[in-house]
Amino acid sequence: MKQKDLKRAYNNVLAQAISDSNQYLFAGNLFGDIFVLRIKELDKGSEEPPGKLKIFPQGSDVDINYLTFHRDFLIVGAVGLIYGLKWNEEEESLATKRSWEVKIPIQVDAVEVPDVNSMWLDSENSILFAGCGDGVIYQVSLEDGRIQREYRGHTDYVHSVVGNAKGQIFSGAEDGTVRVWSTKQQQHTSMLEPYKNPNLLRPDWGKWIGAVAVNEDWLLCGGGPKASIFHLRSLESTCVFNFPGRVHLCDFVDDCVLIGGEHNHVQSYTLNGVLQANIPVEHTACYSAVWQTSPIKFISIAGFSNKLHILKDFRFLDSKIDMYGNVEGEENDLEEEDELIEKPLTVEAA
Amino acid sequence: METILNTQFDQLQKAIEGIKEAKSKGQSTDEARIATTLMFVALKHANREVKHKIKAGRDKLHLEKCKVDLSRLQLQNLLYEVSHLKKEIVRCQKFKSRDTSLELLSDAEYSSELPDMAKDEEELSSHKQHLHRLDCELRLRKALDKQYSALLSSKQELLQDNLSHAQRYVSFAPALRTLQSATKPLHDALQLSLDVEWKLSAVVKYLPKPLYVFFIVLQSLQRVSDEQSFTAEVVGYESEAQMQELLKEKKCSTLNYRQESGERDKIAEKTNLDEALAPHPLHICLTIGAAGSNQLVLQIRYFDLIKCATVWGQLNCSGNSNGQADANFVHHLLRHLYPNDLGNELPIPGIQYELRSSDLTAEECVRYLKAKDYGKPFCWLQSMCSIATVNSSMLYNHELNLNKNTKEIINRIARRLNSWQRLSQQIRGLTFKDIDLYSLKENIYPAGLSCSLVQWTAITHEELHSQISDALNTSTADKGITYNSYRAVIVRGSAKMECFIRIPSNYPLEMPLWILNVHWNGCLTAQNNSAIKMMEFWTNSLQPKQLEPNHCVLYAQLFRTIYSFDIFLETEGSMQNTIEYNKEKPYISAFAKRSRSRPYKYIKKGSVYAFKQ
Repeated sequence: MKQKDLKRAYNNVLAQAISDSNQYLFAGNLFGDIFVLRIKELDKGSEEPPGKLKIFPQGSDVDINYLTFHRDFLIVGAVGLIYGLKWNEEEESLATKRSWEVKIPIQVDAVEVPDVNSMWLDSENSILFAGCGDGVIYQVSLEDGRIQREYRGHTDYVHSVVGNAKGQIFSGAEDGTVRVWSTKQQQHTSMLEPYKNPNLLRPDWGKWIGAVAVNEDWLLCGGGPKASIFHLRSLESTCVFNFPGRVHLCDFVDDCVLIGGEHNHVQSYTLNGVLQANIPVEHTACYSAVWQTSPIKFISIAGFSNKLHILKDFRFLDSKIDMYGNVEGEENDLEEEDELIEKPLTVEAA
Repeated sequence: METILNTQFDQLQKAIEGIKEAKSKGQSTDEARIATTLMFVALKHANREVKHKIKAGRDKLHLEKCKVDLSRLQLQNLLYEVSHLKKEIVRCQKFKSRDTSLELLSDAEYSSELPDMAKDEEELSSHKQHLHRLDCELRLRKALDKQYSALLSSKQELLQDNLSHAQRYVSFAPALRTLQSATKPLHDALQLSLDVEWKLSAVVKYLPKPLYVFFIVLQSLQRVSDEQSFTAEVVGYESEAQMQELLKEKKCSTLNYRQESGERDKIAEKTNLDEALAPHPLHICLTIGAAGSNQLVLQIRYFDLIKCATVWGQLNCSGNSNGQADANFVHHLLRHLYPNDLGNELPIPGIQYELRSSDLTAEECVRYLKAKDYGKPFCWLQSMCSIATVNSSMLYNHELNLNKNTKEIINRIARRLNSWQRLSQQIRGLTFKDIDLYSLKENIYPAGLSCSLVQWTAITHEELHSQISDALNTSTADKGITYNSYRAVIVRGSAKMECFIRIPSNYPLEMPLWILNVHWNGCLTAQNNSAIKMMEFWTNSLQPKQLEPNHCVLYAQLFRTIYSFDIFLETEGSMQNTIEYNKEKPYISAFAKRSRSRPYKYIKKGSVYAFKQ
C-alpha cells in the first residue's frame, strides 16, 4: 500500500484546538501532521465546495497527542515535550520553527519518555497543566517555561486534565481514579473511583477513566466504566449515561452532555440522562471534540478516521471534511517510487 | 390668314378689272395703278407672315417628335430591363450553392473551436448565421491548409536531411572498409575473431529494422557485461524471411492491378486479419535469469502493419518447482514495469490513420494480438527498439540512448522477476505449510511465538470485498491494477484471527494489504475496534526500506501480524475477569496515550528488545 493511501486509511486524530480569533480549527494526528481549517468555510453555501485545508507537518517522529491555543501560539503536546508554534493569522501560516519548548522531566525509575496526554490552560494566569504518561500532572508557567510544580498521586498514566475557575484541577487516569487537586495543597483534595461503583463498572473493559469534564456544579467522567455525572461537593453519582462504547471523550456542551468513544455514534444527553441526539460517525473511536457558539456555531468531532465531523446545531451531522486528500498543494507533489529490492533468490538443490 | 389672302386677291382682281375697264374706256389708270401696287405690298406682307407661321409649326413638330423619341427609348430600356430581370430570376431559381455539399463542423465542435465567434452569431438570422459559419469554416480550412503545407515542407526538409546523412554514411563506407582491412593484421595478432562472430549471425540481417537494432544492442550489452544475466537469440528461418521479402515485392508490383479491381479486395482483406497482421517470420527470444534457475523467456515480435513490437512472456521452470500458479505473475510484471504503460493501445503516433486505410482499428489489432498470444505493445519495448512512441497521456518519446535504456529495462525486469519469484515462493510456502515459522522468526523476533498459522488459502476477489474496510476504499485511482487475494487464519487458544491479504499486480511497487478480523468475544474489526485498526496499520505500514536484505515481505508482514495479535490478546486479556492469556511478551506498558494504544512496535537495541507503542 502506498504511503499516501496508508495515511488516509489510518489517520488517527487525537487533538484539536480553535484559535483565539475563533477563525481557525487545528487538528493534529499521530503521523505528526497539523491540519488547519478556515472556520468560515463551514458557513459557505452548500453549492460551492469547501476550501481545502492547510497542512503543517511536524515530522513523522512527532506524535501530536494534544493541542491547545494561547494568544497567538498553538501549543503542541508531543512525547516528552510541549512546544509552542507561532500562528500568523494574516498569512494563515504556522511557524516551522518552534518558538519555545518545555521538556517533561524523565523520572528516575522511568523506562519510557512520557507522553503529554492532556493539557488544560488557565489562560488568565498563563499557566498550563499537562497530564503525562508518567502519571504526573505538571504545572507549567507560560511566562518563562518553568515547571512550577508537580501533582503526584496517580499510579498510571493520566488520560485527561481539566480545571475550573476556583483553582481546582481534575484529572482522570488509567489507574481508574479521578483526583481533585488544589493549587494550594500538595496532596489531592479528594478522589473518585468510579469502577468501585457496581452501577458504573463494566468488568471486561477495565477501570480506566478516559475523559473528565467539569462545570460550576458538576463533574463528568467515563472510560472503561460508564460515563456518569457527579456532584462537585458531595462527589455522589447522580446520573449514569448508557453510552454503549468505551468513553474517550466527554464534555458539557451548552446544557447537554456530549459523550463519544469507541462506538460508531456520538451521543448527546440531557443532565438527567435522557438521550437527545445520536450522531453517526465514521471514526473507529472518537478522541476529540471542540466547539464554539460564535461567530459561527459548530462542533467538530475527530477520531480514528480521515474525516472531521462537523455539527452546526450540535445535534445533527452537517458535513464530513476529509483531511488527507483535501490539502492545498497536494496535487503537485509526486510520490517517489519506492521499490523493494531483494537479494537474488537462491534455489535449493532439489 | 386664308381669308385675308382671299380678300386681298379679290381686292386685287377687282382693282385689275377696274384698271382694265378704265383702259378699255380709255380713262386714266394711273391712280388705280398706284393703289393696286400698294396692294401688292400688303400681299407681300401676308406672304411673309405665312412663311413665318409655317416655320414655327415645323419647329413645334420637331420638338414633339423629339419627346416621342425619348419616351420610346425609355420604354425600350424598361422592356429590356424586365427581360433581364426575368432572366436573372430564372437564374436565381436555378442557382444551387456548393456549400450544401460541404461537410461543416458540428455545432458543438464549432463552438468549441471558435468560442468567440459562436457567441456573436446568436443574434443573427439563420441565413446570416450560416454565412458566418461558412466564413469561419473558410478561415479554419485556410489555417489547416497552411499547417498542411508547413508540415509538407518540413517533411521535405527532413527527407532532404535524411538523404544528406545517408550520403555521408555511404561516403564513409569505403574508408571503413579500408580501415577494416588495415586492422586485419592487428586482429590476427591479437587473435580477435570479430569476423567469425558476425558471420555466425547471418540470419540477423533479415530481422526487421527495429528488432535488428534491439538485437545488436543486446549483443553489445552481453559482450560488455561479465555475468550472463540474459541471453538473446533470433528464432526463425532465413529462408522464410527471404520468402517474405520476395512476397512483399510481388505485392508491390501487383498493387496497381489491385487498385483497379476495387472494393472486392477490401472485403477479402478485412476477413483476413491473420494475413494483414502476420508477424515478421523472425523474432527475438530474450531469456532473463541464469541457467539452472527459473528463467523468464520473452518473445519479441515485430509487426509491419502496426509498426511496433510486442512482447509475450513466459516462465521457464527449472527443477521440480511447481510453476503453474506463478504463470500470471509474468503478465503482471510486464504490465506494471513502468507506470501508465499497460500496453492496451498501440503507442505509435498516427497509427490509427494508417490503419484506417486498410479498414482496421487499433483496438481490433490489440485484441487480435492478445487472442493470438503475441503479447502487448508496451512503450518500454518500443523504446528498446528505437521506435518513437506516444503514450496514453499523449507524451511523445523517442529513446536515443539505447544502450543505457536497454540495460536499465533488462535490469528492472530481472529485479522484478526476482521479487515475484520470492513472493510466489513465500505464498507456496504458506499455502503448503512447508515453512517452519519457528526457525524463520529466529532472526527477527527472539521472543516466543504463541499463535499458530493454521490456514493459508487463495480466495476470490468477491470474498475479499465482502470485508468492509476503509483501507480497501481509500486506494487512489485504479491504474489497471488487479489483485490476488488470500485468506490466512491464525489461532491462539479460544481466539481466532482471520487475515485477508490482497496482493496488487504492481508488486513490488506496492506492498500486500492486510485486513484483519479477530473473533474473540464477538467479531472485532478495524471498523469497531481501534486496537485492531492500529494493528492493521502496523502490519500495512511495513515499507520496503524497513526490510532487512534477507527478509521476505510476506513473512515479515505475517510476523508483525502474529506478534501484534499476541500482544493484543495479552494486553486485552489483562483486563478480563478470567485470565486466558498471560503476559509473555516483553512490553513495558500495556496501554499508552489517550487512544490506549498497544505496544505493537518492536524495538531492538543491541541485545535488549522490547515492544513499545
